[in-house]
Amino acid sequence: MKALKLLDNAIVKIEEFILSYAVIIIAVMVVGKALSRAIFSYTPPFADEVSQIAIVIATFMGISYAARKGRHISMSAFYDLAPFKLRKALAILISLVTAVILFVLTYYSALYVQNVYQDGTVTSALQMPKYYLYLFIPIGFFLGGVQFLRNMWINIRDREAVYIGTDAKDYNDQDKKDIMEETHL
Amino acid sequence: ACGGDSGNGDSGESADGGDGQSYNWRFVTEEVDGQVQYEYAEEFAKRMKEKSDGAVNIDVYEFGGLGSETDQVEQLQNGAVELAVMSPGFTGNMVKEGQIFALHFLFPDDVEKTQEILNTSEALNTDLRERYEEYSISPLSYWTEGAMQWTSSGTALEEPSDFQNFKMRTQTSPLILESYKAYDADPTPMSWSELYTALDRGTVEGQENPIFFIGDASFYEVQDYMTVSNHNNYVAMTTVNTEWYEGLNDDMKAMVDETVEEMQEWVFEEQKSQNEEWLETIKNDEENPTEVIELTKEQREMFKDKAMPVRDFYRENVSTVDGEILDKLQEEISSAGE
Amino acid sequence: MVATLLTIMVVLLLLNFPMMIPLMIAPLIVMFIYFPNLDPMILMQQFSTGIEPYVLLAVPLFIFAADIMTTGKTSNRLLDFIGSFIGHIRGGYAVTTAAACTLFGAISGSTQATVVAIGKPMRERLLKIGYKDPTAMALIINSSDVALLVPPSIGMIIYGLVSGTSVGDLFIAGIIPGIIVFLSFAIYSVIYAKMADIPLANKASWKERIELTRKALLPLGFPIIIIGGIYSGLFSPTEAAGMSVLYAFILEVLIYRSIHLKELPRIARSTGLVTSAVFVLVAGGQAFTWVISFARIPQMISETVLGTDPSAVYVLLMVTIFFFVGCMFVDPIVVILVLTPIFYPAAMDAGIDPVHLGVVITFQAALGSATPPFGVDIFTASAVFNKPYLEVIKGTPPYIIMMVAISILLIFFEQLSLILL
Ligand code: NA
Ligand code: NA
Repeated sequence: MKALKLLDNAIVKIEEFILSYAVIIIAVMVVGKALSRAIFSYTPPFADEVSQIAIVIATFMGISYAARKGRHISMSAFYDLAPFKLRKALAILISLVTAVILFVLTYYSALYVQNVYQDGTVTSALQMPKYYLYLFIPIGFFLGGVQFLRNMWINIRDREAVYIGTDAKDYNDQDKKDIMEETHL
Repeated sequence: ACGGDSGNGDSGESADGGDGQSYNWRFVTEEVDGQVQYEYAEEFAKRMKEKSDGAVNIDVYEFGGLGSETDQVEQLQNGAVELAVMSPGFTGNMVKEGQIFALHFLFPDDVEKTQEILNTSEALNTDLRERYEEYSISPLSYWTEGAMQWTSSGTALEEPSDFQNFKMRTQTSPLILESYKAYDADPTPMSWSELYTALDRGTVEGQENPIFFIGDASFYEVQDYMTVSNHNNYVAMTTVNTEWYEGLNDDMKAMVDETVEEMQEWVFEEQKSQNEEWLETIKNDEENPTEVIELTKEQREMFKDKAMPVRDFYRENVSTVDGEILDKLQEEISSAGE
Repeated sequence: MVATLLTIMVVLLLLNFPMMIPLMIAPLIVMFIYFPNLDPMILMQQFSTGIEPYVLLAVPLFIFAADIMTTGKTSNRLLDFIGSFIGHIRGGYAVTTAAACTLFGAISGSTQATVVAIGKPMRERLLKIGYKDPTAMALIINSSDVALLVPPSIGMIIYGLVSGTSVGDLFIAGIIPGIIVFLSFAIYSVIYAKMADIPLANKASWKERIELTRKALLPLGFPIIIIGGIYSGLFSPTEAAGMSVLYAFILEVLIYRSIHLKELPRIARSTGLVTSAVFVLVAGGQAFTWVISFARIPQMISETVLGTDPSAVYVLLMVTIFFFVGCMFVDPIVVILVLTPIFYPAAMDAGIDPVHLGVVITFQAALGSATPPFGVDIFTASAVFNKPYLEVIKGTPPYIIMMVAISILLIFFEQLSLILL
């Protein structure tokens, strides 16, 4: 159990690191490109590509982090109206099915990465193998799937509350104040 | 709603009974309705249908719904679509030799002569084709969509020195950057969707495209000059998925080949009329005046001199066959006599 | 096929599945059933294609800038400054919100970026002075619509290319409809403030105003940098988003020292989280678009509904409906790219001016992304404000009614777009 906990902590730290620095890198690239062009009349050709790589990485690596924090967007209109027991059942079912679907997507995106690897395609500016970038898609889906399994498990284990993520209890059972506090991480 | 009847037609399977096979193929292009590639594909589909007495039905896809140009290349490779018009530029990160068409002043100034070379060149139709076929892409023909021209604001681009400190919007590939560095320009990669605004506000000062595209995308509205430089050609390839093509029966293959062949003349006229029409429109638009500049022979030579070293860059840094295809093509071009 | 797609979408959505799941799995299932010979990896490719367009980078950048500004002092100083001039006027804050969204939307060209950059600080102030949250969010989401109508509009540039229409003309033609939308929202805001009896602040004295202006001098550099930068050609709109991050950083970290450098990764992480939650939907939307385009569903439907020789009004009505529905699921830019070629020929045959068609299309694209049941702006608001879906859409009906009314005006009076040309 302790080893798992350590692993979990390590993963969340890595996810947080990737999300933070992906955003910071995008800002640095876009600003750097604009300033360099304005001041030195030189446009670094890799700037756009690096930003786009960062956005792909952030998007897919963010899947599990958003799942942990219960921040995936859903159309919760009817769910919000449901009674506790039904919400509890749905939370378990949805987490399980979502996990399975994410694993299916992991499989196909891994095949895609292999395909790109075989073609040897490189990126335009950096001339870097393109599969490096796509590698983050199956990784993101896989970690997302694992996290949704954990979301299911915590809902099974703790009978007192509904969780929309392992780190987030259902807002329907909380008062407004808690939500406001969560708005700013 | 519309049921499963729309899901027919995977990879040339028989779709109806009656007196023989029928074929449903997909033909994807990098352009939209009205532009050269799309019109090509429509005409191609029409001719195939007529020749086959309606047995061959080709759905033509315009750019947009199926993702980016490179996505479309992969879809051809996977056999999701059977036919595609693609420009070698979008495959240049996979089939490196395809970047040959980005070289400046390689082909003759005259577009008609260029098209003749594209039709007959062994370097392209055999050697380059073999490179593509390693990736399941068979280019059946090469054709020009028109020569590339420069547009600019502030500075009229007439000789290499006009490019000094000139912010030229380019693609990001090292070869294209090198091509403009050769003129001492400041190559400025800029996404297509921001280009109109960037030209309008002077974030970048110029761009390159064939005339019909300069017209279609309204770039001339926000530019002062258009230099008819013919510095290279926007070359497109009619491509098919190699395994699919090899699997066609002989009659069908012959019909495809014949149509590809006869389309060469058709598309030359099509691009010519589109480019000429837009040239007139651009010249006559008084609300957005654009001065059209023709390069003299001397000016062209000046550019060509500057552009020559880029061919070595191609040989050393791009080509995977030490520029063999380029050398052969150069010979073919010079024996075609410019 | 349409039935299969819709059933999967609706069932999974109503069950409260994360939206990315139906968007990603519905196209995959359709592929298994109807195109068994295709390689499903094609859809994987679309996931990354969907989020690669350069202009989308403006979204995380504006989120980041807004996160820095609201964590620090900048946004409060700006809002206090604005408040000192309009706080005592009925509906003053709401009108200011609408105006700021319109202006910012015009500049950034992105409805989502507007929701974030203006919405984030303005919402807090609206809540503070007594607006209900759904009302505040609805105002923000809908005012951001105008982003697509006022130049430089990315939507119009795309339409211009696809249709060969003059982008310059389109820019001019969007101005009057944009102003009409803004005026309707402004008038509604004043009426609403009166009916809901939103408390007024005391009128600030000129001494207070001068003091608050002095405090806001540096933050006021924001609009100058963004507007001045873009209009002078120094930056592209996406780069302006980056510059606003830089400026927020300089103000908060270096000048006010309200944020320590060490806190920056934490703020960036919050930005990254929101970005990911929104962009997985954009990725899924692209796969959805792919399968619909591949099966030629828009062509089939449009042939059925347009029939032969439809009238101009009928075509415009269909355009309105199709773009509206299309933008529920998919980014407006993609919808314009995919659907314009399908309706354009019929519209030309019916004698519709291509510039007017462009305005109608862009207007619907904007409207569709901000109205329930789905819409990228709603998702963005839900992610950024961390609010459940129902809360986000509760306040939208009055705005939808106004927008639909303006849509109808646009269908019948092409002068609204063409008169300035
Ligand atoms: Na002009
Ligand atoms: Na919507």
